[in-house]
Amino acid sequence: MSDLDEPVIGIDLGTTNSAVAAVLDGAPRIIPSRTGQALTPSVVALARNGKQLVGHIAKRQALTNPEGTVFAAKRLIGRRWGSREVEDARSVLPYSLVAGPQGQDVRVRLGDRTLSVPEISALVLAELRADAEVFFGRSVSRAVITVPAYFNDGQRQATKDAGRIAGLEVLRILNEPTSAALAHGYGKTLEKRVVVFDLGGGTFDVSVLDVAKGVYDVVAVGGDTYLGGEDFDRRVIDFLSEAFAAEHGLDPRAEPMALQRLRDAAEAARCALSSVNEAAIHLPFLVNAGAGRPALHLETILTRSKLEELTRDLVDRCLETTARTLRDANVKPAQVDEVLLVGGMTRMPRVGAAVRAFFGREGSRGVHPEEVVALGAAVQASALTSPRPTERELLLLDVTPHNLGIMVVGGWFQTIIPRNTTVPTSQTHVFTTSRDDQASVRIAVLQGGSDKASENEPLGEFVLKGIRKAARGAVEVEVTFEISADGIVAVSARDLASGQRQSIQVTATSGLGEEELRQILDERAGDLLAARQASAEVERRRSASGVTAAEIEQLLPAMALKLERAGIGDDAVVQARALLGRARSAIEVGDGAALASLEERLERTLQLARGLAGSIDGGDGGGGDGRGGG
Amino acid sequence: MPGAPPTQRSSVSSPQATGEVDLTAEEQRTLRELDARLPGLTHWDVLGISWNAPVDAARAAYLDRARELHPDRHAGRRLGPFLPILERLFRAATAAREVLCDEGRRATYARETAPPDELSRAESVRRSEAARSAERRARLARATPLVARATRVQELLRRGKEAMAEGRFGQASADLLTAAGLDPHHAEAGALASEAKRRAGGERARDRHQEGLRAEAAGQGAAALELYREALAADPANPRHAIAAARAALGLGQHAEATELARAAVAQAPGFARAHEALGEALTAEGRTKEALRALERALELDPALKGVRALARKLRWSFLG
Repeated sequence: MSDLDEPVIGIDLGTTNSAVAAVLDGAPRIIPSRTGQALTPSVVALARNGKQLVGHIAKRQALTNPEGTVFAAKRLIGRRWGSREVEDARSVLPYSLVAGPQGQDVRVRLGDRTLSVPEISALVLAELRADAEVFFGRSVSRAVITVPAYFNDGQRQATKDAGRIAGLEVLRILNEPTSAALAHGYGKTLEKRVVVFDLGGGTFDVSVLDVAKGVYDVVAVGGDTYLGGEDFDRRVIDFLSEAFAAEHGLDPRAEPMALQRLRDAAEAARCALSSVNEAAIHLPFLVNAGAGRPALHLETILTRSKLEELTRDLVDRCLETTARTLRDANVKPAQVDEVLLVGGMTRMPRVGAAVRAFFGREGSRGVHPEEVVALGAAVQASALTSPRPTERELLLLDVTPHNLGIMVVGGWFQTIIPRNTTVPTSQTHVFTTSRDDQASVRIAVLQGGSDKASENEPLGEFVLKGIRKAARGAVEVEVTFEISADGIVAVSARDLASGQRQSIQVTATSGLGEEELRQILDERAGDLLAARQASAEVERRRSASGVTAAEIEQLLPAMALKLERAGIGDDAVVQARALLGRARSAIEVGDGAALASLEERLERTLQLARGLAGSIDGGDGGGGDGRGGG
Repeated sequence: MPGAPPTQRSSVSSPQATGEVDLTAEEQRTLRELDARLPGLTHWDVLGISWNAPVDAARAAYLDRARELHPDRHAGRRLGPFLPILERLFRAATAAREVLCDEGRRATYARETAPPDELSRAESVRRSEAARSAERRARLARATPLVARATRVQELLRRGKEAMAEGRFGQASADLLTAAGLDPHHAEAGALASEAKRRAGGERARDRHQEGLRAEAAGQGAAALELYREALAADPANPRHAIAAARAALGLGQHAEATELARAAVAQAPGFARAHEALGEALTAEGRTKEALRALERALELDPALKGVRALARKLRWSFLG
């Protein structure tokens, strides 16, 4: 499906921003978007006119279209409907969430459509893929996509699904902190113990790695998939809103547009406070106070110390997680050779100071903490596709972030593969029947850190069916639990006595079912067909416009001569030349929309030119009245 | 495409179908051999290091192994049947790393997997070390009297305890008393010594008493009296020795002596009827009727079943009245 020389890309699919990178001439580089930016906001919108928007353009219109703008989808991906995180999100997000068809996953209402979260993320991925295709001038179909190290199986699987929907073969789901370490160590020969402290828009991750001989050996990972810049902003929003409510008796959070303006202002103020001590917040006409009364304004100043006070416990949570992870790795803060700061939130001075206090050393930060993850993904993508492993190349040994186990009698959780086990890995477990002639065994597989099954994340239920009839305890079924290098779980089973493989039925508890995914992929194939038809249409326009333009050009000298003789002036000729210029560039790049808008004017100009070239009494030459198309 | 879910595997070129593998014949042979030998290999073998190699060596070896065996290092190659082999070998290497890169687990594993000649070598080392330390102690003891005394006390204490456990109380008491004498502040030695002494006395007294009974039966009253006296000296707390001695004295006609011994028995065990009986008999022989009657009545009070006592008392009462 893809030739081997085709470029491979690394994508950092972030909570607030995403980026795409590739290894070019031996070094990883960010691929700019078609509008020239390094970062693309992870925002998807359905505009009022029904157009689907992604990235900057979607973010810009968020203010006027809060219900139709989806952001921070990463916080919902692979989550179960009814989970604490989803309930939390429903209470603060301006767009509306509904339960999936099985009532298990989360769907987003966008206009009259209901989209799964992987489909939303796929739109962002497709945008980045298109950026890369324009950059390389050829198709791109293989990618490494990063996720927070602390993502569980459901979240990884859903991210991989998003990649497939975007038409990408996902070579690897890579952990973000590991990715940052890869980018950091690229082209150097490191021999040290590195801690990656990654505080991004929505998630916090910490990883301990031993780097030696080009092998990046992850010792332990930890994190919190619900702690990031969004939470810092929310503290600011709540603080501003409560102060406002105390003064005016109205809560601005109740109004979607006011909430969106507050959100933007909070983010801007939080970023500004990383370099200055005070940030002014002006939100005029924030809340409509009702008929006949003037609108209310929010005018205040947020100081850095106030921000730090509001978010102190969030920073403390990061440090607690860090301490726990170091304990898991059996490493003391003083034994760490380098602390790598990743994610936009690490720009906050209080975060840097907390890291310094904890490790007793300054954290090191690349030039762009927001870009380093995508760069690392590009490095890994390149390593996974190079035809022959060479000396320069690296090897990544990652670990599974959560205990994997099953539910046993009494609702307890029995760990089968403990967390921080190097992947790929597998473990077998023998089950016996507990009743005579038992035909099936139901096994609930979970991930998490609690002894109680109910407090862990269910991955799925596996039903072993068609077990041969025998007295209880006589049938032994060996179940193999596998975790791939992506951190994704697979289960298989066989009857120990007969050696026969058991069929396993998987009931996914989150994300898309295989059938639904296929349906979405089919739909997308339909979209592709439409796109291909559209490109045929563009071709037709190109050739038609080309013919028209050539004829106009031929007639132009005669037309100019006639006008000059008549003493009318060369306005019409100048406009016709400008039109021709625009048409030529549109033909060259194959800009279908521009061609469509130019078509009619070209036709009119041609008629005019024909008329003028034939005789001089043909009106005033209204050849180019329009503004630039496209 | 290692690690990809089965759904994606089908979209990549399938080497199983073509049977072609992008590995050299040499690589294929090495992997096959290693895989076949895997069940019998120790963690040391898997990493290719010698038994008891240090953690650093194990770590370095693991990194090398990972670079050879991790499926990612072969990404993009057709591996066919070698993919599961690589995965199996990589897992074995990781399992070896888990043990050998952890100081505690490594040490335990090294003991468990020590080669036989290593085991005997370790044993002989242990023995010669034990012998050397004993010699060192002896040398030290010769050099300083204080250490010598402490060593001697320890030795006596050990032997004494042993003897006590085996019921040789005489031996135990001798050793323990010596120990207590050498080190008067040694609380354990003192306590054990008095216990051993008490038990040893009881033992000796029992022996003498038996001999006394035999002598008496043989009609050697004087010898019997002497033996009973010895038994009494060895175990003064037991009234039976005194009573037996009093009877023997009575038989020899030494009435005053008998009374004295019987009084000692009564003093030792005022609630023992036989002691009062013996005293009554002795006093009767001395002709101290009133006192004898009081002793006999006391004996009857304690044990009304004593027929001889009742008869003697009746006779005394009548003679007293008459």
